[in-house]
Amino acid sequence: MRPILAIAKATVGEAVRRKVLLIIFFIAALLLFIAPLLGVLSARSEKTVLTGFVLGIVQLSSAVIAITLTVYMLPNEVERRTIYTILSKPVQRYQFLVGKYLGAISALAIMMGFMGLITVAEFAIFQKDVAKGISLLQGIAMFFVQMSLLSAVAIFLSTFVAPLVNFFLSGGIYLIGTLGFPFFDSFSRNPNSPALGKGMAWLVTNILPNFASYNVQNPLINPETQISNPLMYALNAVIYGVVYIVVMLILGMIVFDRKEV
Amino acid sequence: MAGVNKKGFRTKLIALACILGCFQAGWSTFRVYPTWKEDYSPVKGGRDLVSGSLSADQMLFALAGFRELIAGILWVRADSFFETGNYDAILPIIRLVTFLDPHQIDVYATGMWHIGYNFTDEDQRSDRRYLPSALALGAEGAKQNDTTYELFFEESWLWYHKIDDDYPKAVKWMDEAYKRPDMLPARKNLLGRLYERNGQADKSLENWYKLLDVAQKRIDDDKQGRDFQARQNKDTIISNLDTTIVRMAQRGFFAGKEGRPLTDYDVNPPFNVGFSAKVVVTADRVLRVQGTWNVLPVGTRIRFILRDKNYKNAVEGGLLWDKELDSVKLDPPTAETFLQEQLFVRNTRFDKKIDMSRDPTMYPFTQDEYVMEFYYNARSAPQHIQDKFGWNGEGMTDVNPDYISTTIRPGQKCLFYSMPITRDQLLLRGEWADKPVVIKTKNYVETGKDYNKSDNLFDVPGAKPK
Repeated sequence: MRPILAIAKATVGEAVRRKVLLIIFFIAALLLFIAPLLGVLSARSEKTVLTGFVLGIVQLSSAVIAITLTVYMLPNEVERRTIYTILSKPVQRYQFLVGKYLGAISALAIMMGFMGLITVAEFAIFQKDVAKGISLLQGIAMFFVQMSLLSAVAIFLSTFVAPLVNFFLSGGIYLIGTLGFPFFDSFSRNPNSPALGKGMAWLVTNILPNFASYNVQNPLINPETQISNPLMYALNAVIYGVVYIVVMLILGMIVFDRKEV
Repeated sequence: MAGVNKKGFRTKLIALACILGCFQAGWSTFRVYPTWKEDYSPVKGGRDLVSGSLSADQMLFALAGFRELIAGILWVRADSFFETGNYDAILPIIRLVTFLDPHQIDVYATGMWHIGYNFTDEDQRSDRRYLPSALALGAEGAKQNDTTYELFFEESWLWYHKIDDDYPKAVKWMDEAYKRPDMLPARKNLLGRLYERNGQADKSLENWYKLLDVAQKRIDDDKQGRDFQARQNKDTIISNLDTTIVRMAQRGFFAGKEGRPLTDYDVNPPFNVGFSAKVVVTADRVLRVQGTWNVLPVGTRIRFILRDKNYKNAVEGGLLWDKELDSVKLDPPTAETFLQEQLFVRNTRFDKKIDMSRDPTMYPFTQDEYVMEFYYNARSAPQHIQDKFGWNGEGMTDVNPDYISTTIRPGQKCLFYSMPITRDQLLLRGEWADKPVVIKTKNYVETGKDYNKSDNLFDVPGAKPK
């Protein structure tokens, strides 16, 4: 466990020093700060628009950070040959991979945590509604699980795919898993769908990660929505996410273990 | 993995990954996603309306969680189209906004009104083919926003005021609105009127009494006597209650209930409506519709329909308007013809020119055979005419029994008469190129008089003593 934690710690330090990630983070923070000004552009209640916009910024920027952070993680180590010094020590490859992953999601947690703090502050200052700001942290927490899942997918792909390809591949999987999931799900359940397409849709919904289930912003934006058991739902979604992450890491370990470095 | 059999360990890992892979699929399918669809999806039921209807960049924005902002901006943009009268441009915006943010109740309500009235009003564009779209949009809005009464009310209003015939549907939607606790007290009064229109006078009365109790309680709770609206609402309810009781007595409701013969009531003996009609095709796609209706008071409007003989979902004197309530199609069926006009009766006659030549997309005339229908339903009549005919047309008759139907609307007596007409006749083509096209009821009498003059009042076939 110790090597894993040491690698994770080093990865966090490395991540927060990476300029590209900091730039994405600062752009996100800037957008969060100007978000209250955008309420006037819309016919809907300012608070509704602000809530939707803030959660949108957090989700989008976190997804970009998660992908950017993880796609280069292993290839960079190989390219810079730093992996040799690490693996020459009593560190197993799986420990290296898990350590890298934990480091990545810790860095992500720090950045998302800051975005959460900005959100709460924003609602406290501009809307005089701290409770609303705090309630949004539920959504940000679910986004964190979503991004952890995305990071796991990206780190698994990074064991055998070049970074640029991985960037678009992970992004594509994220798009399908969020926006496309409901579409494929309804397609696979539709009795009128052609059998081949139905089979493909079934495969997509059962093999690709279900990112859509972490998009819980609807009841936060529209508080009149009635939710039957939010805690149970969150628990189920987290269990799903953890299991999927474990699968991705196991597959990553298997591939990485056989990889020539 | 030092110290262990690497191959065996890898096999175990693969097996574990397979087991967990199956577990995640099952967990997502049965535990996570169904709940998300029900509770968290922006679109109720999880059918993401966005996916099939937006361009890639719009989808990306929607995906990124900016649905509400984009929808709001689009709606502001639509406002400028309203101001300039560019109604066609508003339709896709309405759809887009409701796709992006199905919780914008105002957009659904305005959209329904826009489609249901701006596209179907006689003075502007009388295209009734849009009405199913308006109803479908309202039904979708109600489904997406089922915790508030508003769109149930709007849907009911459209049935009541615009469809103006199928009152059970209006009652059904208003009942749904009633179940929502946020319904405004004054709006609840409409249910009484709907029950009346639906021929359920007893339920209307019962509803007024219920509302009166609620209104009284509201006044009792207002210890300081500051709730002016509560008093005003109570006065309105009392007035409506009185009127309903008077109507029930006048229209023979109580006598019928008690099995007494209808003697002194207005609806007895039934009144001869003296219907006759003539349709002349005066030019290509231009009709002149004339006829008689032996009811002196102003306010009668007879429905005239010209449609494809096999128009989808057509019924006698109307359409099954909500047959396709599950899908909002903003483009009406462009290959099908359905015209519905109101023939205004003055001095016991109607005479209207209907020009369908100006908009070929609205009246494409692609079929060979058409029907023209005359329809009058006492339930849609103004109150002063209902006093004569009753709620269900009990007080209506005609010396020509063929014109009165008791079957097309169960429990009611309606005027209904259908005439066939062909495409060649409507377009004055083929053998009709040089022949006058005149289609009329067998009792139509040519008088040659100008009935817009007040001294020529009583040339109604069957009503005038020979």
